[in-house]
Amino acid sequence: MILARVIGHVWAARRDARLQRAKLLVVRPHAIYEPAFATRHLVATDDVDAGVGDDVIICLGAPARASLGDNNMPVDAAVLGVVDRVELDADAMRAAGAAPGIKRPLEIAVGT
Amino acid sequence: MIRGTVIGQVWATRKARGLEGQTLLLVAARDAEGQPTGRLVVASDTLDARAGEDVTVAFGSGARNVLRPGPDNRDLLCDAAIAAIVEGAG
Repeated sequence: MILARVIGHVWAARRDARLQRAKLLVVRPHAIYEPAFATRHLVATDDVDAGVGDDVIICLGAPARASLGDNNMPVDAAVLGVVDRVELDADAMRAAGAAPGIKRPLEIAVGT
Repeated sequence: MIRGTVIGQVWATRKARGLEGQTLLLVAARDAEGQPTGRLVVASDTLDARAGEDVTVAFGSGARNVLRPGPDNRDLLCDAAIAAIVEGAG
């Protein structure tokens, strides 16, 4: 799973039949672990009614499909939760090279 | 699996039902030499990992096997889970 912020919606009239009822959001990962996501954004389905500006937990791969109740969905990213709070341990972040830390709430700047 | 360091925890009240009961920790990933990569992953934790502890994180079906082993765990909403607390690496 990754942390991301919702930055927009996607509208699509012509879409896969299994996606007819899916709400599609554009999200920007706060920090990413997959080099493939160099575009700095993902399109994810949303079943928890997240809105633009919300910080969310994104699940990738098979569990994203499972969250929609159908393992055959043409989907590989889903919003699973709206984040209330992130608690970061300052000492652990320094040790892990994750400083300088948070600029705004949940705006996590991860340095190397 | 990758190696990383626990740096914090994430809370969400509004969430998919399958996420209930999962403890979600933020893990800063390290590379093969143990150096920080600047990348974060949210991993489910069943081992009571604490901030500052080095852990290994399993992805994909390996992550689901941490929560519930077996072939019938495709319903689990988890793509990353802490598989071990690292005490030393050489």
